[in-house]
Amino acid sequence: MRYLICNGSIIDPARRVATVGDVWVADGVVEQLVDLTDLHAAPEPVGDEVTVINARGCVIAPGFTDLHAHLREPGDEHKETLASGGLAAAMGGFTTVCAMPSTKPALDNAALVRHVRAIAERDSSVRIEVIGALTKGREGHGLADLMELAEAGCIAFGDGGRPVSDAALMANALSYASVLGLPVMTYCEDLRLTAGWAMHEGVISTRLGLAGFPKAAEESFIARDIALAEAAGAHLHICQVSTAGGVALIRSAKARGVRVTAEVTPHHLTLTDRWVMGNLVPHDTTMITQTARRGRRSKTHPELGLPSWLDPSLLPPYDPSTRVAPPLRTDEDVEALIEGLRDGTIDAIATGHAPHALVDKECEYALAAPGISGLETTLALVLTLVHRGEMDLVNMIAKLTEGPAQVLGRSPSTLHPGARADLVIFNPDEYWTVDTSKFASKGRNNPLHGQRLKGQVMLTMAAGKIAYRRENFGHGGGHSHPTASRLEGILPSDS
Amino acid sequence: MTIATARRRHALDLDDFTPEEIEEILDTAESMKEVLSREIKQVPTLRGRTVVNMFYEESTRTRISFELAARALSANVVSFTARGSSVEKGESLIDTVRTLQALGADMVVIRHNQSGAPHLVARHFAGGVINAGDGRHAHPTQALLDLLTIREHLGQIRGLKVVIVGDILHSRVARSNLWGLTRLGAEVTLCAPPTLLGPAAYWTATWPQVKISYKVDEAIAGADVVMALRLQKERMQAGLLPSLREYSRAYAITPERLARLGEKTLIMHPGPMNEGVEIWPEVVTAPNTVIDEQVTNGVAVRMALLYRLAG
Repeated sequence: MRYLICNGSIIDPARRVATVGDVWVADGVVEQLVDLTDLHAAPEPVGDEVTVINARGCVIAPGFTDLHAHLREPGDEHKETLASGGLAAAMGGFTTVCAMPSTKPALDNAALVRHVRAIAERDSSVRIEVIGALTKGREGHGLADLMELAEAGCIAFGDGGRPVSDAALMANALSYASVLGLPVMTYCEDLRLTAGWAMHEGVISTRLGLAGFPKAAEESFIARDIALAEAAGAHLHICQVSTAGGVALIRSAKARGVRVTAEVTPHHLTLTDRWVMGNLVPHDTTMITQTARRGRRSKTHPELGLPSWLDPSLLPPYDPSTRVAPPLRTDEDVEALIEGLRDGTIDAIATGHAPHALVDKECEYALAAPGISGLETTLALVLTLVHRGEMDLVNMIAKLTEGPAQVLGRSPSTLHPGARADLVIFNPDEYWTVDTSKFASKGRNNPLHGQRLKGQVMLTMAAGKIAYRRENFGHGGGHSHPTASRLEGILPSDS
Repeated sequence: MTIATARRRHALDLDDFTPEEIEEILDTAESMKEVLSREIKQVPTLRGRTVVNMFYEESTRTRISFELAARALSANVVSFTARGSSVEKGESLIDTVRTLQALGADMVVIRHNQSGAPHLVARHFAGGVINAGDGRHAHPTQALLDLLTIREHLGQIRGLKVVIVGDILHSRVARSNLWGLTRLGAEVTLCAPPTLLGPAAYWTATWPQVKISYKVDEAIAGADVVMALRLQKERMQAGLLPSLREYSRAYAITPERLARLGEKTLIMHPGPMNEGVEIWPEVVTAPNTVIDEQVTNGVAVRMALLYRLAG
């Protein structure tokens, strides 16, 4: 099968390419890139055997890599399967997904890892990699068979959403994993500080009378793990950093040469604990100060007229879809996370995709399972930062492609000729309304239901095959000369 | 009796009540007190309506108070507690509410140990929902009865200095009183050890007028109203306090403190009390202590609220 994807804006962060042109795909690999801004480039004749995909107005980028998804198979197939999770990934523009070992039983032995990899190979068109459990049964008492897990193809170790509370065990894990050349992914929560937690500890939790997850519970744990990794000379990857203090700790560790990397989720980059209040009216004075703060940071949404582009008042108060671990934090944390993403402190955006069944979520707030089913809203959510001018599009795509590849110690996905044809086509300007009932994921737990977002995935290609294509996308128009890009003002001016 | 201007469906907290609406409910409650002083303490206002009291947490006074209030308005009242109901068989809150809906309940009153549970009920129930206390979040009828008691004794709320002393952090009574008192213009001070209060900014961001104090003698100086809160013994076990003795010495309303306050200061407590811990027995029986009146006013306030929600 041969494809010509034409007229798109090609953004390939790993090769520092941002231009308008055509991408030819054949036999599962990128065949060539035609830069249409190069006046010497002669358009190749298009034969009948070629399938033309018109990507006018869209961005063509390397497929995204997700470092952190809970795909639930085996054991919780009612929440997600490798098939449904793989399709959700494709709908979100991801061509590689790292599955957390939070299955039942946990992925803590080589046989199980091989089993999951085989099912993934059979059921998913996007590549699913496996993160092996760091401790037996993810229980934090003894090391899993890390060497055998590595031999079975695990790309990292981690207990996926559970902290390793025993510092001595964590020290051993880091030391042991360091010679295997794989990162240790840590989830940072001091359980003694978070007993009974429902949400972020602060102004809103105080008002709502919900038990808090203090920032210090995350930050003290990050500090501990950085110290342990520094001593062991191991590669530590901090999952889902959510606080300003956490960003600062990672920044200073990186500055003194500790092998630490970090990821942030789209929801921690864009939503705050304000969302737990839903449509409750903030106290008059609170509302005034909050609006003023938001106004300073962001531009008003041009069509919706909303200060934050996203409207928490579409939700009722105490909506369990807003309960996630670590919890949604404050405006100050969001600002620090964006700054950390910009200055390279945070390497990657990871979805933290955590699908749940309705019964796990439709209950009293503090009893609801934490997690957001986020694969399908990730791109649109992080694009709000691009549209608001907080980050440029190239850098943002890098955090979904090059960044996660570097965390895994791999050469980044790219559109370079000869590379595996993992790519995504998305329209950054297309508005759509989130409808969780249309998710490919079995998890409908997403607080963005009903929100109008800007930026939509049109087509995802995995290994040269179309893994997802939005209805009727790319037909017609044929191959023609480039038109004025609709991305003006979004792409850096030198592109 | 004042005629309600806007139809209210639920009373989940006082955060969505305007000062005018609160005053109207207090006025209605005064009329209800007149009903309760009659020989036949019943009016036909809610005849034919069904009120279900869902009590997922132990409660004596609030449950009985709601039952008496609904009966005084001639409603059909059914009460159930988590024990002995299908809750013990694992039925979810939402399923229970749907069942009550199907059985024809017009209004539910809910007490639950999870903050936000009444909001969940309100989303799945077509009739009115009254919060009878949820977790540490809200207890709006307690705040209303406190406001009624204060108003009866001191005339108006505006400008009064009210001090709430005790386990503020875990107190739904404190939170609902904060809304009610600040809406009506009182100056509120919260006083507790830091482990039972948290950072001052957590409170002042939502209630900017509120003052925070860690020293009870400074806080209550010149107070018009002192409200003591119950100290749960679990707080000791959770390591939030060194000892009950130290807490009691530093924060209890003692006869000495009462003497310094003078005779015009109202002493209140939402109950149940730990006498000798947060309040001394001598204080409970003092002439300016109005704890029993609070209980009496509870029935009237709940009648007023049921009446208002029934429309």
